[in-house]
Amino acid sequence: MKIKYKTKKGLVERILLLEILKGLALTLRRMFSKSVTVQYPKEKKKLFPGFRGRHALIRDPASGTARCVACMRCATVCPSRCISIRYTKDENTGARKVTSYEIEALRCIYCGYCEEVCPVNAIVLTEEYEYSDYVREPFHFDMEGLLHNWDQFLAKNKIDPKTYINPFLRPRGASEGELPAGKRISVPSDWTFEGQVVWRDGRAVPAKEAVRL
Amino acid sequence: MSANKPDLKLIKNDTPGGENEAYTVAMGPQHPATHGVLKLDLELDGETVIKCRPTVGFLHRGVEKLAENMSYAQVLPLTDRLDYIASMANNVAYSIAVETLLGIETPLRAKYIRTMVMEMARLTGHLLWLATHALDIGAMTVFLYCFRERENLLDMFEELCGARLTTTYTCIGGVRQDVTGHFLETLYAFTEEFPSRVKEYETLIDQNRIWLKRTKGIGVITAEQAVSLGLTGPSLRGSGVDYDVRKHMPYDAYPFVEFEVPIGSEGDVYDRYRCRMEEFLQSNSIIRQCIEQLPAGPVRAEDAPDLVMEYNPAKKVAADATFSSGIIKLMEDRDRYMQGDVYVAAEVPKGELGFYFVSDGHGRPYRMHIRSPSYIHIGALPYLCEGYMVADVIANIGSLDVVLGECDR
Repeated sequence: MKIKYKTKKGLVERILLLEILKGLALTLRRMFSKSVTVQYPKEKKKLFPGFRGRHALIRDPASGTARCVACMRCATVCPSRCISIRYTKDENTGARKVTSYEIEALRCIYCGYCEEVCPVNAIVLTEEYEYSDYVREPFHFDMEGLLHNWDQFLAKNKIDPKTYINPFLRPRGASEGELPAGKRISVPSDWTFEGQVVWRDGRAVPAKEAVRL
Repeated sequence: MSANKPDLKLIKNDTPGGENEAYTVAMGPQHPATHGVLKLDLELDGETVIKCRPTVGFLHRGVEKLAENMSYAQVLPLTDRLDYIASMANNVAYSIAVETLLGIETPLRAKYIRTMVMEMARLTGHLLWLATHALDIGAMTVFLYCFRERENLLDMFEELCGARLTTTYTCIGGVRQDVTGHFLETLYAFTEEFPSRVKEYETLIDQNRIWLKRTKGIGVITAEQAVSLGLTGPSLRGSGVDYDVRKHMPYDAYPFVEFEVPIGSEGDVYDRYRCRMEEFLQSNSIIRQCIEQLPAGPVRAEDAPDLVMEYNPAKKVAADATFSSGIIKLMEDRDRYMQGDVYVAAEVPKGELGFYFVSDGHGRPYRMHIRSPSYIHIGALPYLCEGYMVADVIANIGSLDVVLGECDR
């Protein structure tokens, strides 16, 4: 497709500065329209679930501590290698017990691989993003720090841990059968494989109800 | 060649210390109009550039070397940091390359979603290009208008994958998250609104006499020269060469959507600008078609490798269904990964982004090479700048649309 345009101007256009007046008129019109700027520290935007912010270990309501089973999948998959886990092994049962779980948040690139591969939904990147500091120490999270992050996140946003959902804990569009048992949390219907949406007649409708023409 | 380009042979250089001695200026790497950390050594005669020598590498992070020590899945977040203003496109390009290497077929729904996000990335990339290009030349207002729409698109990225710039959205064999109804409706409403916004940008600069003076007949590059310099993308199409990876080597859902490739004729800064402005509308139309045609189905291929890719894929133990005695047979999950080498390219906002892999059958690339359009475009800068004024250097850098993160990688 050859682009067609006309840049030659007639005498009237050249004398009357028409194109400049048109531009100025647009700017003038915009002065009376609604402002799109968000005055950040005063107003804050609502984040969508699944924003990749500060790390936390989910506190299991049953045991009161982290769910981590030291499978080392998160430490293996981490592209920046910022997770380090130490664990002890029970000689009789072979069960692993986490002794330390550390995340170097300044190394982290917030890709969300760790929460996606975790089979028990132990680690999560919360929707918390205001945690800058002048020193490095606060960014070296240990196990208590990560559990504290989770408590703080729940308290600050008034979230019930039972109903907390995150698309990385259960990937959207994944069918329940292919997920490990720990990841089968209940999610809104359009997040599941069965409730997938498609576009029909100018709106998003569940794929099941969509009538194919 | 354009008429206003002076003959360089007429400019005489005197001996050092003489009256007409060439004056050397180091432009960058901190110059805001060089779009990052590009350094240009300019030799000037008055205000005319006699010689231009680009220096790159200030943002080198060794992505290609890093990739040799990472699994294919782990390299994906690194591609976010190549062209960081349209990282979604890099993700898609990388995933296509790895899928070709490993022989994985992506499900149709994932293909459509990828095409959709790739065109969204093209919009974000071109919006930032228009904003900064106009700002460099002196049109401040367009900057503010472009960032208004870019913000909308970044918000949609955030809803889709949880990050605005470093998206890491695709995975090998599909995408990581399915779309939601709210996302589709927001995006569709945006595509309905967007063509009128493009009209607004055009009202501001398209016919503006200062804009025309700064762009018409500047940085002319003929079709033959553009091809021999290896230009791709809108920078090549501005010179009138009909080459687009989306049309000529279609990938993902591009064979199923209708779009046209805008071609310029003059090959100057203004034609490259017009090409990208037309691409706004074409991308917008592709996004709409993707939403309307989006089929239902899985978003990740069944044989897609796990995120935790092993260096040596282990043999999998599985019960053989043919024996009822419960004999367990040692089955091989995958005969290692594919061996050999592959070059796969995709059309990102800047041009043709290609990934070249050499694989020795392990879960890591033996060697990865990135053919980044920005690096090659910077190589064309001396041809564009020599003989023009210093102020035109800025217009030329802007019209080639280089990003130094991708150039230096």
